[in-house]
Amino acid sequence: MFEKLMWVLVSFFVVYFALDLLWFRKRAKRPIYQQRLINILLPIGILAGLGIAIKEMTVYLFLQIFLLNIAELCVLILATTGIVLIFKTSVTTNFAQGTIATVGAFTAAKLVIYLTKNTALTMVPKLALAMVASALTSFLIGLFVDTVIFRRSKYLSSVGKQMITMGLVLVLLGLMPLIFGLLPLTIEQFSYDGKMIQLTEEMILYVPDHNILTAIITVSMLTVLFLALRFTKWGLGVRATASNETVAGMMGVNTRLITALSWGIAGAFGGVAAYLYAPLGTQVTVSFMTSVQVNSFLASVLGGFSSFGGPIVGALLINLFASISSFFNSVWTSVIVYALVLILVMAKPLGLFGKKTAKKV
Amino acid sequence: MLGTFWKEVRGTLSRVVKHPYFGFVLLGVALLIVRRFAELGMVSPSLYKSISSMMIYSIIALGFSLLLGYAGLASLGTAGFVGLGTYFIGHFSGTLQKPFGITLLVALGGAIVLGAVVGFVSLRIEGMYLAIITLGLSEILKEVFKSFTAFTNGVTGLTFRNFMMFGKPVPDAAVDQAIILVFVLVIIATLNIINSPTGRALLAMKNSDSAAQSMGIGLMKYRLLAFVLATVYAVIAGLLYMADIKFSIPGTWSLDFSLNILAAVVVGGAQSILGILLGVFMIFGLNMTVLQNIPFFRQYPDATWILSGVLIILVTMFYPGGLIRLLQALRLKIILLVRNLRKRWRKYRYGEDD
Repeated sequence: MFEKLMWVLVSFFVVYFALDLLWFRKRAKRPIYQQRLINILLPIGILAGLGIAIKEMTVYLFLQIFLLNIAELCVLILATTGIVLIFKTSVTTNFAQGTIATVGAFTAAKLVIYLTKNTALTMVPKLALAMVASALTSFLIGLFVDTVIFRRSKYLSSVGKQMITMGLVLVLLGLMPLIFGLLPLTIEQFSYDGKMIQLTEEMILYVPDHNILTAIITVSMLTVLFLALRFTKWGLGVRATASNETVAGMMGVNTRLITALSWGIAGAFGGVAAYLYAPLGTQVTVSFMTSVQVNSFLASVLGGFSSFGGPIVGALLINLFASISSFFNSVWTSVIVYALVLILVMAKPLGLFGKKTAKKV
Repeated sequence: MLGTFWKEVRGTLSRVVKHPYFGFVLLGVALLIVRRFAELGMVSPSLYKSISSMMIYSIIALGFSLLLGYAGLASLGTAGFVGLGTYFIGHFSGTLQKPFGITLLVALGGAIVLGAVVGFVSLRIEGMYLAIITLGLSEILKEVFKSFTAFTNGVTGLTFRNFMMFGKPVPDAAVDQAIILVFVLVIIATLNIINSPTGRALLAMKNSDSAAQSMGIGLMKYRLLAFVLATVYAVIAGLLYMADIKFSIPGTWSLDFSLNILAAVVVGGAQSILGILLGVFMIFGLNMTVLQNIPFFRQYPDATWILSGVLIILVTMFYPGGLIRLLQALRLKIILLVRNLRKRWRKYRYGEDD
């Protein structure tokens, strides 16, 4: 019964979506009821599809896979937040976010090697120091990029700024082997144990410690960021700069400092993300963050760049799609996820939570 | 009698020389001569190999410039499209040993369909978001190349040996000549597109969507067209790449490749064919012909990316028109300098006027 209802809901959405793409959009002006209809049908369709998939794979398995993937989700959220922060202040999509973060991870890995050789620190303080080093390196690179490059290219078009970040990717990709050597490095997890969670008599879920730690770090960083955005002078400045940079500057907001700090903080978020992502079965290489980078871009587009919360929901959705489709077909997982995101973005080009800004001709 | 004949000959000659195609046809002839030299051993084969790679990259870059420089659509899907081209010829002509005509038909059909799909996407998603979405599409294609082993031979890469055309195996020399021929033809086609109403419509669309629409330019038609053209160029380049290099692996068709093509177009000058050739030389050619002979760059092959990256950043910040603009500005400066010097010389020689 439940399943039939869900299928009906999904098919409603699919039919409407097809009609919308092929027919409704041809009209010069869309009536408001169509806008509302797709706004209602979209979440219902997504939720119903997720419901069917979860029922198919059983709730227990879903929860278990979700808990195992939670570290990747947190990494994705951290990277996405960095990208959105830069978009807010500099109005560009930062293609170099992943690469800046990779430099941080390399520094951390080198620092761990140095500390093991020269000091008698135990594992936990050593790794904590390395994480701070990763964040700090990326913070400094972010500051450097803004003060040296972006401060001088304020009046370029947004696509031009995007191209500068692409050039930055190439520069960093070339510099990293020179500084850190050609060999891939590794970063250890804080602990390779895990916790058992007893839900009912038969259901015991397993969570690795690394995932718990990642979740704690992510949630605390996000909380601090959102509180800072809401209550500090810097946060007010970011919001003012995001709404209109020139006017904010006229009103006495130090937009230079605000933008530089935003780049730095976005870099630090990326650095922490890269540090937490490296022990998840990959090695630190020049391009190990590329998949995270692509996913976080898609998450930002899916959620809509205009809000901070939207991209986080986008990251959550992408991670859910990935964990569900990896259960059904592990080879084509990323293809399925990308295709789903593309379809959703076709339905809502400004993102699920995006707002339309008026455009002057 | 003879005088008028010479006059006519001169007139025809000057008309031929001033024809826009002339320079590029001459370039093709020069390349053919260089190829002949390579056969005779006067030009090293590795140098010629890099020249032909440069020609292939130029074809991709020309397609991309129609998108970026004319239609103003930033796309990062180039790598996926080129990769698709290599696998089309690798699978149909290499593995299945089908005649080349069928491969070409399938490849062009695939390119048109794919380009139309991306173009359709670009109708809904604009500006910065389009780059991200096409990046996603390119990642999809890369995953397909990795996973669809029956077609692409997976992550180990697909090797391509000889292939059949008109019932005979095609020799390497013919491939080299075909690359030169296609290179010149593609330049001429691009020149024609740029100077036709289509090119002007694309330019109008770049500057303002709404203004272009109000002048009667259909966004749908021209965006689809721009993407289809870029994809067809990329797929043709992919076919040539596979015929030339004979090996294709999914790792090649990643973001770096698209970024390098973008770098070539931006650095050289997105709206000028000479600029694009210059850009391809700066990004790919310098690396392949000059830098590879320096021991430092042989040890760290990725270090050449620093140069491309710095060039992109500097050119976007200070010379948005590309290096070709810089050259033109320099030329103007030199002309002015010469004029000035001549004036001074006259002043010195004949004294100042009263």
